[in-house]
Amino acid sequence: MIRFLRGSSMYFTPERVLSVCFIGLLAYLVIVPLFLMIQETFIVHPLERFQIPGSQVGDFTLSHWYRFFVSDSAYTFFYRPLVNTLVISFGLSFLALVIGGTLAWLVVRTDLPMKETVSNWAVIPYILPSWTLALAWISLFKNDRIGGEKGIFFAVTGFETPDWFAYGLFPITITLALHYFPFAFLLIGGALRNIDAQLEESATLLGANRLTTVRSIIVPLIIPSIMATFLLSFARGLGTFGTPAFLGGPVREFVLSTSLYANLIGQRPGLGYLAALVMILIGMLVLYMDHKMVGARRSFVTVTGKGARASLIPLGKLRWLVLGTVLCFLFSVIAVPLVALAIDTVMLIPGVYNWDNLTLHYWIGEASYSIGLGTGEAGIFRNSQILMALKNTFTLAVVVSVVTGLMGVLVGYAIVKRRGTFIAKCLDQMSFMPYLIPSIALGATLLAMFAIPRGPIPSLHGTFLLLVIVCSISALPYAVKAGISAMRQVGDEIEEAALMVGASWWERMGKIIIPIQKSTYFAGMLLPFISVTRELSLVILLVTPTNQLATTISLLFTDRGWYPYTNGIVFSLTIIVVICTVFSRRIMGTSLAKGLGG
Amino acid sequence: MPDIILDGVSKLFSKQSQAVENLSITIPDGSFTTILGPSGCGKTTTLRMIAGLDSPTTGEIVIGDVVVFSQKQGTYLHPSKRNLGLVFQSYALWPHFTVAENITFGLKINSIGKREINKELEQIATALRIDNLLGRYTNELSGGQQQRVAIARVLIMKPSVLLLDEPLSNLDATLRMEMRAELKRLHRETAATIIYVTHDQLEALTMSTHLALMKSGVLQQFAPPLEVYDQPINQFAADFLGSPRINLINIKVKSGSVFWGDNRISSCEKFAGINEKDMCLGLRAEEFALHRERKSGALEGKILTVLPTGADWFYQVQVNSDVLTIRHNETPAFVCDEVIYVEPRPNSVKLFGENEKNLTPEKL
Repeated sequence: MIRFLRGSSMYFTPERVLSVCFIGLLAYLVIVPLFLMIQETFIVHPLERFQIPGSQVGDFTLSHWYRFFVSDSAYTFFYRPLVNTLVISFGLSFLALVIGGTLAWLVVRTDLPMKETVSNWAVIPYILPSWTLALAWISLFKNDRIGGEKGIFFAVTGFETPDWFAYGLFPITITLALHYFPFAFLLIGGALRNIDAQLEESATLLGANRLTTVRSIIVPLIIPSIMATFLLSFARGLGTFGTPAFLGGPVREFVLSTSLYANLIGQRPGLGYLAALVMILIGMLVLYMDHKMVGARRSFVTVTGKGARASLIPLGKLRWLVLGTVLCFLFSVIAVPLVALAIDTVMLIPGVYNWDNLTLHYWIGEASYSIGLGTGEAGIFRNSQILMALKNTFTLAVVVSVVTGLMGVLVGYAIVKRRGTFIAKCLDQMSFMPYLIPSIALGATLLAMFAIPRGPIPSLHGTFLLLVIVCSISALPYAVKAGISAMRQVGDEIEEAALMVGASWWERMGKIIIPIQKSTYFAGMLLPFISVTRELSLVILLVTPTNQLATTISLLFTDRGWYPYTNGIVFSLTIIVVICTVFSRRIMGTSLAKGLGG
Repeated sequence: MPDIILDGVSKLFSKQSQAVENLSITIPDGSFTTILGPSGCGKTTTLRMIAGLDSPTTGEIVIGDVVVFSQKQGTYLHPSKRNLGLVFQSYALWPHFTVAENITFGLKINSIGKREINKELEQIATALRIDNLLGRYTNELSGGQQQRVAIARVLIMKPSVLLLDEPLSNLDATLRMEMRAELKRLHRETAATIIYVTHDQLEALTMSTHLALMKSGVLQQFAPPLEVYDQPINQFAADFLGSPRINLINIKVKSGSVFWGDNRISSCEKFAGINEKDMCLGLRAEEFALHRERKSGALEGKILTVLPTGADWFYQVQVNSDVLTIRHNETPAFVCDEVIYVEPRPNSVKLFGENEKNLTPEKL
C-alpha cells in the first residue's frame, strides 16, 4: 500500500485506490442507509410495541405499511400530507417560474434600466435561509386566533388577516416560491442569453414578425430550461422542512416532510421512515423525468455559439414604470421581511408596536421571568445556549467545507483520471445520488443507520460527527461536479509532466494540481459553508439538546411561541450568510449561479 | 547510450479497440526516430508506453540493457527511473510557476543543491535562448518560447532519450520551420536519442534519421525517411509520404509491355518483367517530363489547372481518364487548356498489386 503512494506500482495507482475507497465509503454512507431505512419500515420499534398488540421489539411487521397506506388513519398520515406536498410543490414551481422567468426576460431581452442592480438583487432571496420569509410572514400577518397577538399588518392597517391567508398552504406556497424564483431567474436568463441572435435574425429576414419569432424560435429553445427549472424547484420543494413547519404547524396542516418529522420524534418511527421513502421515490421520479424529458434537449440550448447580441426590445415610456415595479417587488421580498424580523426582536411585548415598547431585552437582556415574554432566557448575545448553537453552526460549516472541499478534489481527480472506465462511471453516479434524495429524507436514512450501534460502529446519534457526515454527503454532488471540471481544466499532461521528473503523488497533488486550481477549490468550499450555515431540513432529525445548531434552536424557540428569539437568531444568520456571499464574490469572483448547480 | 527495443508490444484499450498491435522495433542509439501516421494510429500510445505513462497489454520494452517493462516477468519501471524526458503536445507547463520554477522543479524535488540548480539553469537557459524569460509566468510567453521552456525543463534532467509528442503542432507555419532546424541542431548537440511523434510527413522527412510509419496500430515500414519515400512498402506508405500526394495510375502489363489505357509506355519497360495483369503504378509529382511536341512514350494530356508556387509550378493534367498532379520548373510555363505530352520518368519502382503491396521493393 505504501508503494502506490510513491507511484512505483503499475496497478495500485493512486486514482485506482481512491476510486475503490470512495466507492466503499459512499456505499456505506448513502446506499446502505437507504436499505436499512427500508428495513426499518418492517420492524417493530421499542415505542411501537404497545401499538401493535402481542409484538416484540425487532419483530417483522407489515403494520406500518398497513397503517400508512391503507388504514383509517392513512388519510392523516399519508394522503393528506401527500396531496398538500404536491399542491405546494406544483404551486411554488409554477409561481417561481412566472416570477423568475419574467425577471429574466426583462433583464436579458429588454432595455430595462439598472439591469445590474436587478440581477444582483434577484438572487438574494435564494441566499437567505428558506424559512426567513416564513417567519417574516408570521411577523407581518399573524392573527389572534392561533398565535395570541396580531402582526405588524394589523397594527398598520387595522385589518385582521383570515386564517387561510395567515397560515397553511397558501403562505407556504407563496413564501417558498419567493425563495426559489432566483433559480428560474438564473436558469432561464442563462438560456435566453445563449440564444444566438442570428437564429432570430434569420427568422426575421425570412419575414417572420416579432411575435412569430418569439413563438416559433425563442420559446422552443428555452423550453428545456423551463422544464428543468420547474422540476428542480419541485424537487427542492419536496424536501424543505422549515417553512411548512412554521406556517403549517399552527393550523395542523402537514406535508410529507413535517409528517416525517412528527412521526419520527413521536412514537412512530416506522411511519416516519415510510414518509421518507415516499419522498425519496417522488424525488427520484422527478429527477428521472428531468433527465428523460430535458436531458437530451438541454444540449441545444447551450450549443449555440457566441454570435451577436439580439436587439433589445424597447419598453418605451413604460421602462421606468416597469423598473419601479420590479424594484418594489424585490424590495418587498428582501428588505421588508428582514425589517419585519428585526422589528419583532426589539418589541418587548409582541404585537404592541409603539415607541414605549422598544427594547433590546431579547438581544442583551438578562434572563427574567417577568420582563416581556417572561421566558427565563437571557438575550441572544448573553444566552449561553444560543451562543453555543451559533458556535456549533460555525464549527460545522468550517469542518464540512474542508471535508467536502477535499472530497471534491479527490473524487474529481479519481473520476477524471479513470474516465471511460466502469469504476469511474460508478463513482460518478454514486457521488450524484445524494442529489436525488430530499434533504430531510437523507437525514432520515442516516438516522436509520446510526441511531443504534451496528457491528463495530457505535450509535452516532447526537454526535457532531453525524452532522458532519450528513452535511458533507448532501454537499458532495456539487463538490464533485466542481472537482471534475477543475481537474478537466488542468488536464492529464500537467500531472504527467511532474510524474516524469519523479514527483510523488503527494508532491503532484500538493505542488501542482491543487495550487493550479486553488481559487476554484476555495470557491467550492465557500458554498457548502454558506449552505450549512442556514441548513435546517437536513439536520433537524439528527440534532439533540447537546449539539443544537443555530437553525434548530430557533425552531425550539418557535415551538414555545418565543418569536423574538427565533427572529433574532435568523436575522443574525442572514447577516452572516450575506456577508459570506459578498465576501466570496468580492475576493474569489464566485458567482452564485455556479453553486446552484441547476 | 542505449538502443530502445520494443518486442511484440500490444496495447488494448478495450476488447474492441486495439491501439497498438504486436509492435517490434529497435530504435538505434543516437537516432532521431520519427513515429509517423494518421491520427489514431497508435503513435502517441507507443510513445507513452516507452515513457511508462501507459503500460502495454503484452510485450516487452528494453531501454539500453534495462528491461523497463515486461508483461511476462511482471516488470514495470516507473517513468522517472527510465532516464528519459517527454515534451508533451500541450507542453504541459505549470501555469502557477515561473519559467525558472518550471525548469528547476524536477531538480528541486530530487533534492539537488541550490547552487548546482542555478548553475544548470543558467546553462540550459542560455543554450535555449530563454535566459531573459526566467522570471516570467508561462502564460506571458509566445508559443515558441513555451516550447523552448518545455524542452529546457526536460533537458535539465539530462535524459538519455528525449521523447517529443507532436511538439510543433501548436505553432504557426513560419515558427514551425525555425523550430525544425532548432530541433535538428539540438539532436546534434545533445547526442541524445530522440523519438518524435508527428502526423506531419514533411516534419518526418526533414528531421529524422529513421522513420517508423504506422497505420491502425500496425507498423508498416521502419527505414530511413528517404528510403520510405523512394521504396514505400505498400500503397499506404507511398500515399502518406510526399506532398503533393503520389499519383496512382491503373496500368496493365500485357505480353512484356506496360499499357496505360491504350497507350504503351516505353519509359516503363523495366516493369514489364513483372507478371501480373492489372496493377497500380505510383508516380510522384516530380517523376514526369512534360513536352510541347509529340514524343514516343509520352501520352497526350491537357492542362486543367496551373498553380504557380514561385520556384516551380504544379499542374493538374488530364491524361486518359486520370487527373495527375505534376511538378515542373521549366519556363515558359504551360497555360490552361494547353495540350501537352506527358512522359513518366520513375526514379524508383512503386508498383502495387492487388493487396496494395509494393511488388518490387528492391532497387532496380
